[in-house]
Order: sequence, then structure tokens, then C-alpha cells
Amino acid sequence: MTVSEKKKARQIGVVIVTHGDFGQSLLEAGTSVLGPQENCVAVGVDVEKGVDETMESIRKAIRSVDEGRGVLALTDLFGGSPTTMSLSLMKSEKLEVITGVNLPMLVAAIQGRAMDLEPLAEKVRVAGTQGIKVAGAMLRKRTKK
Amino acid sequence: MTLVRIDNRLIHGQIIETWLPYTGAEVVVVANDELSKDALQQEIMSLAIPHSVTSVFVGIDDLSAKIEFLVSQNSGSVIILFSNCSDAKKAYDRGFCFASLNIGNVHYSPGKKQISPSVALSDDDEHCLKVLSRKGVELDFRCVPNDPVQVRF
Repeated sequence: MTVSEKKKARQIGVVIVTHGDFGQSLLEAGTSVLGPQENCVAVGVDVEKGVDETMESIRKAIRSVDEGRGVLALTDLFGGSPTTMSLSLMKSEKLEVITGVNLPMLVAAIQGRAMDLEPLAEKVRVAGTQGIKVAGAMLRKRTKK
Repeated sequence: MTLVRIDNRLIHGQIIETWLPYTGAEVVVVANDELSKDALQQEIMSLAIPHSVTSVFVGIDDLSAKIEFLVSQNSGSVIILFSNCSDAKKAYDRGFCFASLNIGNVHYSPGKKQISPSVALSDDDEHCLKVLSRKGVELDFRCVPNDPVQVRF
């Protein structure tokens, strides 16, 4: 093991699996907030492609970011095929799947990559729901006072 | 009977978000030999189905008897899903008759003819659909309910 490898702690891999290019754009938004990330990739599910082919591209993406501590799959729609395909890969990969991906979730995932997979998944879930605010109403409430 | 559909993804977002509310179906029947033997994959596929909707997984040969049973139970509207054209034809040949067939998603692969954004047909697919059409089955090429109805055969 080289010195640089010793210094760098292994992190949880992150794969965003979504319909179309949403995941890629979300990843770009995430890196514009937090800077470039290693072992963090997006896979778009193309409806016109076959299930087997798509499953293979998701599996490849998961393996490409796995440093040995597991991978977090952030998917868009609960019940959608990006989610069901990711769930199917839990048989063979060390993987957790979280649906409803948004930018607060991606930010939390990237920031918590040193954590273990299970607590990180919970942290990401909480960040996702806490990131949703009717911010205009909050502001109106404050400015009324 | 509400909707008989070919969809290579079987239960997925389009079914849950559009066809279930559109048809008001209370039962989703997935007719697929592989899935009927894979309990884990069944759990994954039915995970996001609303609690008020029941999912049933059967092999192609058992479909007709299963539907007869569901009808006898007055189970309300039903969505029946096949993953490909030959399964739909096989079920029809084995006695599961339907008046209309929705062709939703049939994915592209080399050698297939793209006939709509979501449907690409091989010669065999085309043959299956033509046979069904000749038997009086109306073919409905809609990916989601608000797509315009286009009959191409």
C-alpha cells in the first residue's frame, strides 16, 4: 500500500439512478455546491433500452464506485424502474437504495461518505425530507413580526 | 376487465402513477413465467403498489384459470401485464381471450423496427400482433393513458 492510499480513508460509493438525464444534472448541481467528487456517478435509465442492458449499466456503475464499504443508490421514483432495478441488485452488491432523490439528499450523501452505509442511509433520508420547506411562508411569518 | 398490456418493464412508474388511477384497477396480474417463480423479484415489483391494490403473479399457462377465479370473486377492475408480444399471444392461444391489447413498452434491440417512441417490434412480435389483430383483438399503442390512440395494423 502506498502512502497516499494509506492516508485516504475508504468511502461509501454513490450512484444516482434516475429516469433520463435527471441524475446527471443533479450530480452537476451537487458538485457545483461541494466541488468535484470521486466515486460518485449518475446512471440514466433509457426507457427505449431493454431491462437486462440497463441492469448491466447500473451494476457496472455500482462496482465502479465501490471502495469496499458499500454503495448508496439514490433513485427518483418509488415504484419506478430505476428503483426496482437497483433493488434487484441488492442480491449481489453491498447496496442500500433510497428513493425520492433531491439535492439536499445528494449533498448529505456526499458529506457523510465516511459513515457506515446504514446510518448514512438514515441521514440522507432525513436530509431529504428536512430540505423541503415552504420557504416563502417561513419568510412571511418572520417579516410579519 | 380493464386493461391488458404489453410492457417489458411490467410493474413500474407508468403503471403505478398513470394506469392504476386511470383504470381504477384493484388487482394487477403479472403474467410472466420467470417472475412467477421468483419470490424476491415479486416483492421488489409490488413494493410501491398502493395498499388498496393487490398484485398477483402467475405463469402464462395459469393465467386463464386465475382470471376466471378473480372474475368469480367480483374483484373489480384488473390490469393484466405481459412482458412481450409472444406471451400475450400464447395466453390468448391457451384460452385467455381479450378484446383489446395495449402495447405500452417493447424495447428496441438491433434488428427491430421502431414503430413508436416506446415500441420496437421484431418480425416475430409483428407476427404475434397480426395474428391477434386478425382474431379481432383491437391493438392500442399507448404508453400512458393520455397518449393519442393509434392503431397501426
